[in-house]
Amino acid sequence: MSLLDDIRKSVIDGDLNATQDQVHKALTENIPPGKILADGLISAMSEVGRLFENGEFYVPEMLISARAMKGGLAILRPQLAAANIKAIGKVVIGTAQGDLHDIGKNLVGMMLEGAGFEVIDLGVDVSPEKYVAAVKEYHPDLVGCSALLTTTMIRMKDILLSLQVASLREKVMVMIGGAPVTEQYAKDIGADMYAPDAASAAQRARQLMQG
Amino acid sequence: MTKREVIRTVLAGQTPPYVPWSCGFTQEARTKLEDHFKPLDIEEALQNHILKLGSDIGFFTDLGNNQVQDVFGVVWDRSIDKDIGNVSGCVLPEPTLMRYSFPDPLDRRFFVEIPNRIARFEDRFRVFQIGFSLYERAWTLRGMQNLLMDFYDHPDFVHTLLDLIADYNIAQIQEAIKYEIDAVYFGDDWGQQRGLQMGPRLWHQFIYPVLRRMYSVVHAAGKYVFIHSCGDVDEVFEDLIGIGLNCFNPFQPEVMDVESLMEHYRGRLTFHGGLSTQRTLPFGTVEDVRTETKRLLKMGAQGSYIFAPAHDVEGDVPLENFLAFIELVQNQPGYREH
Repeated sequence: MSLLDDIRKSVIDGDLNATQDQVHKALTENIPPGKILADGLISAMSEVGRLFENGEFYVPEMLISARAMKGGLAILRPQLAAANIKAIGKVVIGTAQGDLHDIGKNLVGMMLEGAGFEVIDLGVDVSPEKYVAAVKEYHPDLVGCSALLTTTMIRMKDILLSLQVASLREKVMVMIGGAPVTEQYAKDIGADMYAPDAASAAQRARQLMQG
Repeated sequence: MTKREVIRTVLAGQTPPYVPWSCGFTQEARTKLEDHFKPLDIEEALQNHILKLGSDIGFFTDLGNNQVQDVFGVVWDRSIDKDIGNVSGCVLPEPTLMRYSFPDPLDRRFFVEIPNRIARFEDRFRVFQIGFSLYERAWTLRGMQNLLMDFYDHPDFVHTLLDLIADYNIAQIQEAIKYEIDAVYFGDDWGQQRGLQMGPRLWHQFIYPVLRRMYSVVHAAGKYVFIHSCGDVDEVFEDLIGIGLNCFNPFQPEVMDVESLMEHYRGRLTFHGGLSTQRTLPFGTVEDVRTETKRLLKMGAQGSYIFAPAHDVEGDVPLENFLAFIELVQNQPGYREH
């Protein structure tokens, strides 16, 4: 098995130490950092997403895999910067105003990172004004918002309105999700994307970036 | 037939004179209803069939600034969610119980009101509630993401933590059965919108053996076992029935096919819930609520069903939607003639 296959396996197994050791080894063996990222870490997280979609992986497996991937990425990041390899896109995420439930949003963030995105996490209870300020500051490609409650889900519409008022709506794509959110609701409020879970959020975000 | 007997009939899988109900509301929703029904007491107005005893979420010390602390030491932020709150900080930052002591399970506050409540509502079916009864108690102490990773990283710690939580609950059950209760109503959310949070393998490995131990204590005392567990968890129904579960709540129509599950399990498992709180109640019309309620009442006419919204109803539900289902359940011919 090649070293990249080992990295892939370690991430899928959620083995943080092995992932970090192997990324170090791959760098010392002069495997290009972009290749370690794409064929090792991102490829592994894409498989994790597939296993999650198939009901073979659940939240614990996803968490330990994401932790291993992040550990590997931390070692790789300076090399990626040196080689001028950029993330495939930038995403700002948060939970809807009034909603403090963040595990779904955290999983989406991990899977997006695992898919090669740079993720800026605004945390919980994020007002439309905060989203607008973040879009102005970070210039993301995508804005993501999640809600667990029917009472907070309705605030998602305000994010879209606020982006429109600030003349930023054309500059970013908006993705939404969370337990009560549906594809139809996303359409109704004019969001660009809905995802039913973290794995498909990452997959659909990649598709959005590819146009 | 008293309300208590109607619930017993339903639990036995026999045909009741009407479909019994027991509906819960969040604080905000409850205030709307109280305003509507006053001066009538809301308990009288709703005519619920289940009498909740003990405390589902426990007791709290006010720390000020919208922060409250439960008896386990967990601090909850209630600045937004006024009913339960959201966990703030982490009581067990490391996977060890070396510096942690469990609270007193026999804290009088859990039991002191039971005799008065039973005396006031003696015709109702009495349940002693144990909220956050296992997995949830563990994650509120340890943090959800930490606990989910502990299943892999520190399995012995997780087993010990869950066993100690069960010991605490069992001590409460043994005290509660000294009163004339009918059932223990556990609460423990395992599900997400699709599937179990921890998946079936880890659920079987960690959760199931502890549930079996707790349920057996309830059954040994001749009481029924109820559980509230949010989300898509029907894949474990057979296991739960196998260890003595009698009634499942909330029976969410957005994540499970309530009608086919009802058909499949009727006579073996009773369902409590069913009315959509994620869609119909907040976003549907009065007519939508009426249609869904009628369908559920028809479905439950043969037994094994207790009507309720599939969660404590949130404050975003219009008052007329509340009244629509309350009116229909209370106007069932079998109830009125009763």
